[in-house]
Amino acid sequence: MPAQTNCPLPAGFQLDQYRIERQLSLGGFSIVYLAHDREGSPVAIKEYLPNSLALRKEGEFEPQVSDEHMPAFRYGMKCFFEEGRSLAKLMHPNVVQVLNFFRANGTVYMVMKFERGRTLHDYIQKHRGEVSERFIRIVFTRMLNGLREVHAHKLLHLDIKPSNIYLRNDGTPVLLDFGAARQTLMSDQPILKPMYTPGFASPEQFEHRDALGPWSDIYSVGASLHACITGNAPQRSDERVKDDTVVPLRRTHAAHYSAQLLDTIDWCLKLDPLARPQSVYSLQKSLIRRDEDGDAVHAGLFGDLGARLKSFIGRT
Amino acid sequence: MKFTIYQESRIGQRKNNQDRLAYSYSRDALLMVVADGMGGHLHGEVAAHICVQFVTEAFQRDARPMLRDPSLFLSRVLTNAHNAILDYAFDKNLDEAPRTTVVACIVQDGFAYWAHAGDSRLYVVRQGQIAMHTRDHSRVQLMMDQGLLNAEEAAHHPGRNRVYSCLGGNHAPQVEFSKRLPLRDGDVLALCTDGVWGPLGDAALTAALSAPDIMQAVPALLDRAEGIAGPSCDNLSMIAMRWHDDATQPHADAISTRTMALDNFTTQLESFDTSRTPASRYDISDDDIEKAIAEINAAIHKFSK
Ligand SMILES: Nc1ncnc2c1ncn2[C@@H]1O[C@H](COP(=O)(O)OP(=O)(O)OP(=O)(O)O)[C@@H](O)[C@H]1O
Ligand SMILES: [Mg+2]
Repeated sequence: MPAQTNCPLPAGFQLDQYRIERQLSLGGFSIVYLAHDREGSPVAIKEYLPNSLALRKEGEFEPQVSDEHMPAFRYGMKCFFEEGRSLAKLMHPNVVQVLNFFRANGTVYMVMKFERGRTLHDYIQKHRGEVSERFIRIVFTRMLNGLREVHAHKLLHLDIKPSNIYLRNDGTPVLLDFGAARQTLMSDQPILKPMYTPGFASPEQFEHRDALGPWSDIYSVGASLHACITGNAPQRSDERVKDDTVVPLRRTHAAHYSAQLLDTIDWCLKLDPLARPQSVYSLQKSLIRRDEDGDAVHAGLFGDLGARLKSFIGRT
Repeated sequence: MKFTIYQESRIGQRKNNQDRLAYSYSRDALLMVVADGMGGHLHGEVAAHICVQFVTEAFQRDARPMLRDPSLFLSRVLTNAHNAILDYAFDKNLDEAPRTTVVACIVQDGFAYWAHAGDSRLYVVRQGQIAMHTRDHSRVQLMMDQGLLNAEEAAHHPGRNRVYSCLGGNHAPQVEFSKRLPLRDGDVLALCTDGVWGPLGDAALTAALSAPDIMQAVPALLDRAEGIAGPSCDNLSMIAMRWHDDATQPHADAISTRTMALDNFTTQLESFDTSRTPASRYDISDDDIEKAIAEINAAIHKFSK
């Protein structure tokens, strides 16, 4: 079936109690809008609209779903609910907050707190090759507080990558897009399947799905750290398993980053799940460790963020 | 080579589809393989999957573009597929290796060669008749051979699903190999799982596989098997291939491999398209949707206090 692009709802559209302002992004599975609630507060609304199954034409509101695709469309909706369920259970400053969930236009919508800022992906693109060690340690230690909360609820994120890590304007990170929860249900749903991004997914996500665990998200964190340093994801793990061409960062980037940080990243990127940090906590400990120059990342990062990071991001 | 080929797998009324099937061809050789993972056993569909994938990959490695010895290929590849299943069980620390039936067929140089273990079958239909078919490795087949059961009784025998040879499991498979069969123009080879042959009699199979267009006849045949089996319908899968002489003017859907590059393969591994699985498995009712939304909103409110 040809890939088609769906038309977003128009600006000013009244969607339930929200008024659409504009489209923020278009993914394969959903559209995200900026909208305002009745009090005029901004919210982000994610609309379930898989473009392989549903088509919204110019000027229409209800997407068209053929009879043939209706079962798969409904099934995908179930997976969209999984994202809502995961997020609704979590209440953490580093995990995006869901405010509401409703049905309209023949599909479903998830309302989230609107966060101002940009994705880590955009940040990396802008600062290619000069993302500082301090920034990396601080942002990831904070982001991992959120991931710890996810794991504490027996959930896995499974799609951690720079474009799903959002940096608020005050520099604090927020985890977005728990859409990959849908994958767990989806092993025999080829139409909706490959949602994860190859360079960031752990080898067990391709091969041995029953070996998934916190260490799988940790691999993706390692790949995101790798992207901060080199500008790119490492070689895809399904290819690495056959012929690993990844060179330890310790050998290529020691001039600009401490050996301890580079070793930590290489540790996360081990192909053997058991050879990686087994918990987020152990990775965090490694990230806040004082490195050789004595430049320590504040242990207080485990708790609330100080003003340090704010000024730090302000400068960049 | 010139042939027309069709394959399809359906879930029937079961929760999972444990059947796997694939065909693959190079310029000079064709492979067809069907496996039926054993449901009562842990990871049946994994066994079927490993088997089909293993056989297909080996074919693509070796048929460049011809196999040196098709019989030897079949015997080696099925033994190795069996071992691959055992390796999987070992890796995963399973108490017992998962099991699967298999029937695999190679066509090369105008001859067909096949091998099977278990009760997935291969039929050769020639001039409106079943010219040959594999004999199941099942208890009921043995009893029939000894004259203890007739076909009618066998079809309803409670132990009819018990097979004594398969890949995986705790015993080495007893794979049975065919003699090579010279193909004639119009011959049909059909490989299928017991979900297809079980509900149907020979007459229905023969009629469908003798029809001029297998691309239409096979789906209609599966409809019929599903209809007869009703609510207890097993997974059902079939690959059917009609052979054409190089000289004949064949059906519009026929494939000619004559112009294929020597190192090229075309492979079709059944991936269980949702469009053919019954809606009930994936569909959620309006009620379910409302419930899910209510549940999510309840969680949101509980936690945002
Ligand atoms: N709560 C939010 N506040 C601000 N912007 C958001 C928010 N949620 C999402 N966005 C923006 O929308 C983009 C896409 O969001 P998200 O990653 O959740 O969906 P997606 O990747 O399109 O989803 P899918 O993979 O399900 O198609 C984000 O990168 C971000 O720019
Ligand atoms: Mg995303």
